[in-house]
Amino acid sequence: MAEARIILQGVGKRYGALWALRHVDCAFHAGEVVMLIGPNASGKTTLIKSLLGLVRPTEGLIKVNDEVIGSDPAYRRAIGYMPQISQFPATLTIGQLLEMMADIRELGKSELEDSLVEELGLAAQLDKRLSTLSGGTKQKVSAVLALRTRPSILVMDEPTAGLDPVSSKRVLQRAAAVRDTGGTVLITSHLMEEVESLADRVAYLEDGTLKFLLPVQEVLERTGAKRVSEALPRMLESNAMSNIL
Amino acid sequence: MLKVFKYTLIDLARNRFVLGYALLMLLVAQGLFALEGDPTKALLSLVQVVMALVPLIALVFTVVYMYDTIEFTQLLAVQPMTRSAILGGQLLALATALLLAQAVGLGLPLLVHSPTMAALVLSLSGSVLVLVFAALGALIALKQREKARGVGVALAIWFLFVLVYDALLMWAMFTLSDYPIEPFVVPLAGINPIDLARIMVMLQVDLAAMMGYSGAIYKNFFGSVGGTVVAALILLLWIAIPVLLAFRVFKRKDL
Amino acid sequence: MRKGLILILACVTGGPLVAHSWTYRAGTSGTLQQVIGKATAGDTIIVDGTVSEGSIHVDRSLVLLGGTDAVIDGGGKNDALRITADDVTVKGFTIRGSRRSNLDDMAGIKVNECRGVVISDNFVDQCFFAIYLSGAKDALIEGNTVLGEPGDEDHMANGIHLWKCSNATIRNNRIEYHRDGIYFEFVTDSHIIGNTSLHNLRYGLHFMFSHRDAYEDNHFEDNGAGVAVMFSKEIAMRRNHFVANRGASAYGLLLKEINDGEIIGNTFQDNTTGIMIDGCNRINVHDNEFRLNGWALRLFANAIDCDFRGNTFAGNTFDVSTNGSLIPNTMNGNYWDRYAGYDLDRDGYGDVPHRPLGFFTLLVEMQPYAMVFSRSLFVSLLDRAERLIPSLTPESMKDDRPLMRPPASLKKGTDHVEEKQDAPAGKVTANEGSSGGVLWLLVGVAFLSSIRYLFPHG
Repeated sequence: MAEARIILQGVGKRYGALWALRHVDCAFHAGEVVMLIGPNASGKTTLIKSLLGLVRPTEGLIKVNDEVIGSDPAYRRAIGYMPQISQFPATLTIGQLLEMMADIRELGKSELEDSLVEELGLAAQLDKRLSTLSGGTKQKVSAVLALRTRPSILVMDEPTAGLDPVSSKRVLQRAAAVRDTGGTVLITSHLMEEVESLADRVAYLEDGTLKFLLPVQEVLERTGAKRVSEALPRMLESNAMSNIL
Repeated sequence: MLKVFKYTLIDLARNRFVLGYALLMLLVAQGLFALEGDPTKALLSLVQVVMALVPLIALVFTVVYMYDTIEFTQLLAVQPMTRSAILGGQLLALATALLLAQAVGLGLPLLVHSPTMAALVLSLSGSVLVLVFAALGALIALKQREKARGVGVALAIWFLFVLVYDALLMWAMFTLSDYPIEPFVVPLAGINPIDLARIMVMLQVDLAAMMGYSGAIYKNFFGSVGGTVVAALILLLWIAIPVLLAFRVFKRKDL
Repeated sequence: MRKGLILILACVTGGPLVAHSWTYRAGTSGTLQQVIGKATAGDTIIVDGTVSEGSIHVDRSLVLLGGTDAVIDGGGKNDALRITADDVTVKGFTIRGSRRSNLDDMAGIKVNECRGVVISDNFVDQCFFAIYLSGAKDALIEGNTVLGEPGDEDHMANGIHLWKCSNATIRNNRIEYHRDGIYFEFVTDSHIIGNTSLHNLRYGLHFMFSHRDAYEDNHFEDNGAGVAVMFSKEIAMRRNHFVANRGASAYGLLLKEINDGEIIGNTFQDNTTGIMIDGCNRINVHDNEFRLNGWALRLFANAIDCDFRGNTFAGNTFDVSTNGSLIPNTMNGNYWDRYAGYDLDRDGYGDVPHRPLGFFTLLVEMQPYAMVFSRSLFVSLLDRAERLIPSLTPESMKDDRPLMRPPASLKKGTDHVEEKQDAPAGKVTANEGSSGGVLWLLVGVAFLSSIRYLFPHG
């Protein structure tokens, strides 16, 4: 197995009285796509935000590239993030936003991968104000922002929500490309079908607890299902769970 | 931090509210000077506008802006930069934008119509109030998750400083007038930043009255070099403490 | 040449007066006092150089003219120059070196019991009293510069001091650093015109028990307390400037027990109190300007039948204050910058009365430390409420016909009036009401629009 890029050790997050994450231990490796699934409010987004540094875990620690994340923000250089809902400064145009984010990261044109702009049909819309964009177009912009910095860790929160099928496919292809060049990709999605063909492993969260993190192949074999979506209910019913936990 | 400052400032420069604030102040100031004919009287009317309106606008605008840009803040927070750099840049940009708007809306008409010491002090006091209440606004916005509650708290704080505090203090003054209240009068009047800013302006426009025996206690303190330093220090604390608290909150805040 | 002509004329007409002209140079043979002794009434003595032979006594009707560098130095012995004869003229000297004594009232120039003295164009330098007249009639004191020495009250005396005089004229003098700049006690039918009185320890000008006098076009600045008029009758005060008389008990003008005076066309600026009126009857206060004073007018309840009209009140911290409630005085047609009314019939007068005695003014009378709330939102709220529904402020103290514009701006010319007529009919000429209204409107709008955030679903 390849090296561990991201390691969570006993990570828990409490909001008031509510534990959004409970003692999560896991590792994500180089060269894999992990599909993060679970019902609403199961802790998927909290987990993602924790390793991005947006949320500060109540307990446990997170290592990214062997560094325990804390006050030093340098580790985020490696990360591309596509959030669930994207809101951008209303007064900017797409072009200005792209320029600004490159400037903030201090990356020159040559260091950026901007072919996705063309591919998602944004090239003609660079002068459009972000406030005038539809949800789908905003998602495309968000995808471009996540991918253009050539991240070795790609985190996508519901990347296909609001995207047309063609664009969805293209974005996911890019995610696969990241994996294929040795990157680590984390994707949450309600639309499992779209992602499962891409995924190497699947992590299932419920009520803040990581129920299992298994190779897709193994999940299908254990349950005899053809798809993860079918396999999931059987996984949760079966005693197979106890074996893993 | 400079990058955040730069882009937040660009965003603010295009913000309708900031332009509106500059125009509103310009309109009010110009209107007063045009309407009154007498620059002294216009200045005195402006004193009241500044003391009431500037804190309100700085407070509410900062709160609303902080909420409205929360997604952008998230976008910045996943970049390789520290939380301090993000908040520092944003606060600097907010302060700069509001001060610039105020310079255009208030400073310019004052400079044109009434280039006096009183006008200068009014300008400076107004600027300090902008900073104090922008700092308080930022703290409120970071403390309160909900925008509606944040604006509510901001309004309550404005109301407290602009009206309730004075009302309570005056009530106490009259209730306790049989006791030697003199030692408490100056410190209590100096705690509220709006009162303090107003006293600084009063020492210019009401100087004659402040030389009378009742005003002398204020004049002797706030009019002296030592008193001015203390006043400046208090106002500085009113800026620094909310800002420091805001940094503390923001560093630990879940976005 | 001219003197010779006069001499010849005197001879030809064969009058009883044969006027001589003497020239005395200090340091040459004899003393000035000896020359005075030799001269006869009507003679002129021209003096050069520094005369320092002690106190000089002029006991006959002479004209003493100072040459280019004429100095009379009393050498600290008694008065520098003492005049006890009628029709003496002293002109163009520097006078100094009088003895400092409170017991004997020593002066630079002392005039005793005589008529028609003229003291002009002298420089009285650091004398105890500078120019002291007692029992003088028809005196003229003109164009002198009187400079005292800053100190404490026990070691200072008055600049120009008149006691029991009548028909005196004090004109175009400049007085600085004395106890009182000009002091009148038992002085009647006299005029004080065009003087400048600065930096005096007590009053710029001080009347006691003096009647039928007038002072006009004088400038009083930075004195302990401007001008005090006490226990006097029929004093006319016109076109004077009272500036920057500031301090705990400082007034531009202090009136105490005055009857039948008039105060017309004066300017009061930057004084802690513009005019303080205590126990006065029948004073007409017309067409004055009160600007940037702490209290423009302090009217004690014992003032009766005073009439205020055509005055301008602008930029004062308090316009009018009083210590009582009974105000049997009249106010009409003044300009108040705090007036919040309107002028629908466009006659230049506000349609609703103005109550110049603000609620806050009363609060400060009751609790002086409340001063610190001046110009706060809370106070303006209180004042506004009180003006709408008067409860504490005396009902009778009001101006029924407040001017919409300062009278000075109306006097400037007719163009202003025309401009007013050109304005569209029905447009309300509003006063502070407009600016205050704008403020309240803004606060209201801001408040209401922010409430939206408080109850987003409401």
